[in-house]
Amino acid sequence: MKKYILIIFVLSIVIGCEDVVEIDVPKDDTRLSIDALIRIDTETSTTRVAIKATETTSFFEEIEPAVLDQIQLLNTSSNTITDLVEDPSDSGVYVANLPTRELMEGDFQLNILYNNEQYEATTTFVPTVPFDDVKQGDGTLFSEDETEIVVSYTDVANSDDYYLFDFGFNEYLVSEDTFYPGQSFEFSYFYEDGLEAGRKLNISILGVDEAFYNYMNQLIVQSGGDQGPFQTPAATVRGNIINTTDSDNLALGYFALCQEYRETVILE
Amino acid sequence: MNKRPLSFIILFFLFSFILFSQQKYTLSGTVSEASSNETMIGVTIAIPELATGVTTNEYGFYSITLPEGEYNIQISYLGFQAQTQTISLTENSKLNFLMVEEAQQLEEVVVTDSSDKLDIRKPQMSVNTMSVATIKKIPVILGEADVIKSILLLPGVTNAGEGSSGFNVRGGAVDQNLILLDEATIFNSSHLFGFFSVFNPDAIKDIKLYKGGIPARYGGRLSSVLDIFQKEGNSKELKINGGIGLVASRLLVEGPLKKDKAAFLIGGRSSYAHLFLPLFDIDNTAYFYDLNTKINFKINENNNIFLSGYFGRDVFSISDSFVNTYGNAVGNFRWNHLFSNKLFSNLSLIYSDYYYGLKLDFVGFNWNSGIQNFNVKYDLKHYLNDNLQINYGLNNIYYRFNPGKIEPSNATSGIVEDQLIQKYANEFAAYIDIEHDITPNLSLGYGLRFSNFNRLGQEEVNVYENDNPVVYNPSLQIYQEADPISVLNPKRSESLAKFNNFEPRISVSYIINDNSSVKGSYTRLAQYLHLISNTSSPTPLDVWTPSGSFIEPQLLDQYALGYFRNLKDGDYSVETEVFYKDIQNRIDYIDGANLIANDAIEQVILNGEARAYGLEFLFRKNTGKLQGWLAYTLSKSEQRTPGRTTTEPGINDGQWYNTPYDKTHDFSIYGNYDLNSKWSFNTNFVFQTGQPTNYPIGQYEYQGLTVPYYGLRNQERLPSYHRLDLSASLTPRKNANRKVQGEWIFSLYNVYNRRNAASISFGRNEDTNVNEAVRTSIFGIVPAVTYNFKF
Repeated sequence: MKKYILIIFVLSIVIGCEDVVEIDVPKDDTRLSIDALIRIDTETSTTRVAIKATETTSFFEEIEPAVLDQIQLLNTSSNTITDLVEDPSDSGVYVANLPTRELMEGDFQLNILYNNEQYEATTTFVPTVPFDDVKQGDGTLFSEDETEIVVSYTDVANSDDYYLFDFGFNEYLVSEDTFYPGQSFEFSYFYEDGLEAGRKLNISILGVDEAFYNYMNQLIVQSGGDQGPFQTPAATVRGNIINTTDSDNLALGYFALCQEYRETVILE
Repeated sequence: MNKRPLSFIILFFLFSFILFSQQKYTLSGTVSEASSNETMIGVTIAIPELATGVTTNEYGFYSITLPEGEYNIQISYLGFQAQTQTISLTENSKLNFLMVEEAQQLEEVVVTDSSDKLDIRKPQMSVNTMSVATIKKIPVILGEADVIKSILLLPGVTNAGEGSSGFNVRGGAVDQNLILLDEATIFNSSHLFGFFSVFNPDAIKDIKLYKGGIPARYGGRLSSVLDIFQKEGNSKELKINGGIGLVASRLLVEGPLKKDKAAFLIGGRSSYAHLFLPLFDIDNTAYFYDLNTKINFKINENNNIFLSGYFGRDVFSISDSFVNTYGNAVGNFRWNHLFSNKLFSNLSLIYSDYYYGLKLDFVGFNWNSGIQNFNVKYDLKHYLNDNLQINYGLNNIYYRFNPGKIEPSNATSGIVEDQLIQKYANEFAAYIDIEHDITPNLSLGYGLRFSNFNRLGQEEVNVYENDNPVVYNPSLQIYQEADPISVLNPKRSESLAKFNNFEPRISVSYIINDNSSVKGSYTRLAQYLHLISNTSSPTPLDVWTPSGSFIEPQLLDQYALGYFRNLKDGDYSVETEVFYKDIQNRIDYIDGANLIANDAIEQVILNGEARAYGLEFLFRKNTGKLQGWLAYTLSKSEQRTPGRTTTEPGINDGQWYNTPYDKTHDFSIYGNYDLNSKWSFNTNFVFQTGQPTNYPIGQYEYQGLTVPYYGLRNQERLPSYHRLDLSASLTPRKNANRKVQGEWIFSLYNVYNRRNAASISFGRNEDTNVNEAVRTSIFGIVPAVTYNFKF
């Protein structure tokens, strides 16, 4: 909802003009970054867990994969350990197949050994609700070229629920149920660029907990570019990957197990 | 309360001088403009025989008590013909003066004085006055004369850049300015996100900006007081004036309700829709309007009544699915009463509010938030004798805060109606303020304000473990919102938190010679309201919140020292000041804090501190065909929020960081050249250090998002800001014989079309898949023309 309210501020920028400028950016030490959002389709029996490890770079350099010494998933309830292996090689993507049912139960710990330092992160599966409907609308907000997608879902009553929506094209949105507890809720999302008819859109709803909701909320803002004169103080968004060897050498990224429902819309 | 001994000293000073009055006679009265009966503020009534004098107050009243004798009284106000009157004072006398504007028609010999001349004698320092005539001459964006844009040219006053709301005084935050329109508080001074200010210059008589040495009659905000008085209305004849501009048009009508006794004024201003959203189609609008009204009624010699009102709104709407409305409303009743020729009083009953409303149909909700206050003020000015004036009074403000109410906008919406917990508070203050000439060379201003803030009961109050609404998570190294352990339901009459503050104010001036003086001041101020804003410039959506159990009142100590000099008999003047400010309890927000629609704002706030210091220099040329000023400020403004315990890092690792409005160098020039009675030219040039900002120290990827990450706050700066503006005004010669007087103003903003960066943002270009730094600049070169008329 916050994002919608912020739209009006973008309005004021419309009359301004933008251009790309050369900036000398400072450079931090290289850090480990872990992309470990595991999307779980509970209908399938096996889930392919894929975790991407990269090294941070200065803003205008290319991001390179990180070579991990070891990466394991520990089910702390059953004490079973699964090793992840890099696949394909040199990609920084580490994978393992686990029974879906196991991922949905118990607490999980991600253990990583990298450059002689130990990192860990813990998480628990977060369920969500399916879409009631995802359809194309004919409304527009700012320009005629926009494509409207109307999504609806029914919130779970008597609990604080948080949602992450993936609209494709690296466009994400978070929502909490503060103002629609237990209700059937509908909202519109507008794609900026004119998308042609026949285009297939994959749209997902994911269950997230409060901490991950806060994390994604900040990530969306910080990766979203221009906030104009209404920018909030930029700070490093700290995730849940903890360096247990040297807490000052922080790692970036987040480990989360989220139920996902996906719908496909073919544009008319 | 370590300030208490000082408070006692002030009271002691006061009583020792009151005991000491002698038998003298009092001369009193009002000074008004001859053409309209509009009372005049700040007119000097000088008594050369005694080298003393007095100036008229906000209601045009003066009073001075002198020994029996014969005096040549000189009444002067720049821009008006000076008068001299010989009186023989043998009894208490009442003398009203009518001032006549200096003839503008005298072709080629237009040697007008600016009305912003320097008073080196009074202990009051750190104050700038600006006449509406000056404000109207300053070239501004799109030709709309603008109060706030004008004061930005003064030393010590900046803002966060083009298209940003409000203004920053001496390194203070936007919410630390007390903006008074006819004594009523204005909560948001900007239209259209700061492109324009909410004051219609046609309706304004006088503005005064206190940046330091703030007298005890003002309180409640730390950084400055912008005191704006609306015109009262012409009680002699009906006058209409207005202007047609590219952005907005204005019309002001004033005239007598009863000749010489009662007058009205009504002024409106409205922008044209669509102008600001040229990219959008016909379904979309963006405009603002405001309405100023005033009625004054002179009941008799001793009683005057004023009714005034202001109503302004900004409206944005997009295809009906998005409608945004916000603005201020003010209503105000005042009664001036003279108890005696030495004792002037004013009673004000004021209502003011700020409203913010939003309709988002594509998400299915309506939203509104705001603040309302009811304010009773009683101020007395006691002119004891020619070297002692005492002001004292009471003030009580009741506040109601609505942090937000959400409602479904249509029948199918899943939104459940919800009112965020409304908050209530009462602020009481009593003050005494003394202006005292100790010797002909030494003057003192000293005062004391006592303020009491009572946070009243509300529907629900959260209780936290160890009274701690923000917890630190040491393993993730972040601050997190604490969960309340219980909820209380106090009655409205219950007090949730109470604060008392003694706020001493002292200023002193020492006159070195007829043309130069040194002044010093110490000011303590308390501020109980906080604008919850996490952006580099406040947004209209930001809500105000009162101090309470978890948010302490902000406290300021400011020290200032200055040297003031008139050169060539006041043709030129120089003002230099240094200041140091120390602010306790400046709130700061934990990283990632969500401030919008947050029903428990205390969960994202930590109490920190702020400080600012600097040097200001102002050189003015006050007379002649070429007038203007050169202002320079060198300053530093920073804040920090250390951890509450040694195991917590605080915000920004507990280190000092630049506030978003820290500008090391701020240089401005304003010049006005009257070529002849037909043409006059104006220019300003501004140079400022770029605003503090953040550049990413690295990047990573998450789920396809390219995420820049940052180090300590505000360590980088945007490129320097500079800009040159020009304007020319043309008064056609044939005007002289016409009933309708017209004037054309041609202006050019940002003459050399510099693309000043409003922001530089870092992100991935989704089309090229390359990371970019994108500069947003608001205005390039902008020409404009405005036509003003009066009849």
